[in-house]
Amino acid sequence: MNSPFPKSTSVPGQGHLVAKLLPEGISGLETFTYQYPLKLISPSRPSEDESVLIFLLSYGGGLVAGDKVNLKVEVRAKAKLTIVTQGHTKVFTSTSPDIVTRQDMHVHIASEGALCLLPDPVQPFAGSVYEQTQIFRLEEDASICLLDWVTRGRTARGENWSFVRWVGRNEIWTIPAAQEDGKTDSRERLLVRDAVILDSNRSHPELAKLRDSMHGVGIVGTLLLRGPLMKSLGDFFLAEFAALPRLGARDFRSDAAKQAAALAQATPREKWRAERLVMENNSKLLWSAANVRGCVVVKFGAPEVEDGRLWIGSMLQEEGSISHHFGDHALMCVR
Amino acid sequence: MTINLFQDPISSYRESDTDNDLDNEIAELERKLAAAKAKRCKHPRSRLEGDSSSSSSSPERPLLAPNLPNHFHLLLSDSALPLGSFAFSSGLESYLAHGHKSNPYHPHTSFAAFLPLSISSYASTTLPFVLSAHRDPSLSNLVELDDAQDASIICTVGRRASVAQGRALLGIWERSFSQSLPPLGSSVVTAAQRGDLKAFGLLVKRGSSKEIPDASAHLAPLFGAICSVVGLSLQQTAYIFLFGHVKALVSAAVRAGMFGPYQAQKILAGETVQELITEMIKREWGTKVERAGQNVPVMDLWFGRHEVLYSRIFNS
Repeated sequence: MNSPFPKSTSVPGQGHLVAKLLPEGISGLETFTYQYPLKLISPSRPSEDESVLIFLLSYGGGLVAGDKVNLKVEVRAKAKLTIVTQGHTKVFTSTSPDIVTRQDMHVHIASEGALCLLPDPVQPFAGSVYEQTQIFRLEEDASICLLDWVTRGRTARGENWSFVRWVGRNEIWTIPAAQEDGKTDSRERLLVRDAVILDSNRSHPELAKLRDSMHGVGIVGTLLLRGPLMKSLGDFFLAEFAALPRLGARDFRSDAAKQAAALAQATPREKWRAERLVMENNSKLLWSAANVRGCVVVKFGAPEVEDGRLWIGSMLQEEGSISHHFGDHALMCVR
Repeated sequence: MTINLFQDPISSYRESDTDNDLDNEIAELERKLAAAKAKRCKHPRSRLEGDSSSSSSSPERPLLAPNLPNHFHLLLSDSALPLGSFAFSSGLESYLAHGHKSNPYHPHTSFAAFLPLSISSYASTTLPFVLSAHRDPSLSNLVELDDAQDASIICTVGRRASVAQGRALLGIWERSFSQSLPPLGSSVVTAAQRGDLKAFGLLVKRGSSKEIPDASAHLAPLFGAICSVVGLSLQQTAYIFLFGHVKALVSAAVRAGMFGPYQAQKILAGETVQELITEMIKREWGTKVERAGQNVPVMDLWFGRHEVLYSRIFNS
């Protein structure tokens, strides 16, 4: 029964993942299947107990034009699942704009279950066509942490938002507790729909080219947070956003006075914040955070991919609840 | 007489036949016109006063019957419609504040650069909601669209702007428009449509205390529904909606000191704006609301960061 090799499904790109709470109180896998070009790996010896870890991979580290990945994820009650990747998800060039590379993920999280999805960014190559849909259905008290980010492409090869199209859509729904008959309940409700459509096809010559419309940003990302386990992290982002210095405010103190004031700041959090603000300023990173119908939505953009990674990593590590709830392995892609 | 051998006898027969028909039709219409003119002379009451001498001889007559859609076209496209649009700059103020000489990626700010981005972004995120509400202004669809839009506006500032204007429009409908509509039966607005909008208004008032309200009254779906109910075409509605956005932006730019009122009118009258609006309507004509989304990601950042500006003259 306990075969070391996961069963394979017959449809290309299909995957199914079920995480459940094992009797000993730690999270484990109940079902775990995948089919080329999708590849899932679970480390044989769990390094940490907080959550079960899955690597979401593809053969060759990228998706070839026309690949369709469709992953179904279920997190059972009280189980915790962490999904990470190994390196950027590359999206290879399409020979024709009609050939769309797709990644879809349908996630169901049962009551008090939690999913942490902090992958590496998607890196679409010049000429690629990519669409991604991630739909999360959360029962009451389920939690989700989701990062979705995309880069301008391979800068070493001069790529700068040179793909044909990139579409990313994330939806968070609340659903009532599971029903036996599998019917959709009328109380299902959409909480957040975050969609980004980057299309190189301009419908009018007055419209800026895609790369110009990005205004020098090399990576854009969205972090979505929902549920009791994400409460403190969400509050942290909202509080840090509220604590941002006012743009256009002027500081009439001398540099020496500013430094003296900074040194006088006692708490480590304030020191960290001061350093982070310098980093944000130097790297031209822009971000915002908002509470949307009980979810916290964080948007950020930075000229350099690594600056974006450093920033989100710094925020998540400083607050600490991701490591606490899911283990340090949950943060491996943002460090 | 020369005979053209290549002439198709059947088509020539048809042509002469249609010619005859046309001649008959023209004669018939001329006869009717003469009769109508004679009738009109017998009823001097219906002539416009002071213009009687010329109107009897002129074939062009003023439109005498009231035309509800035309009237509402003017009302809803008027800048004086009290939606409070003047309070919102749709990210322009934040865009200006973020542009700085020290930023190598964003050294110059210009309205000419911002305007097309803003129209495109607004059309991509919002226009599908207007179109869908116009196509089906029923209560159930309006509530669904309003809820879906509430879920898709991912920043506080944008939500505030959309809801403030939507509620203002709902107030105008309830307190002004719906009470001055022609009586039922003689009007294009049916009892069911009036009832739906009334029920929507009640839902908005009832739900405002909940964490996630049943209805928030976002501008786009409500605008589409009201335009549909008063008989504006889908195209007119989309055009007024996007042009309203441009007018608000241009007006914000004037008040932000970017240019003066003549330049503003020049931009508004310009071909670029006309073409952009038309192209955007074409682009989003078939977009389902589930497929609406942000196509200028930095716009979300500017919008969201409007809150961290030190001084603000606008609410968005």
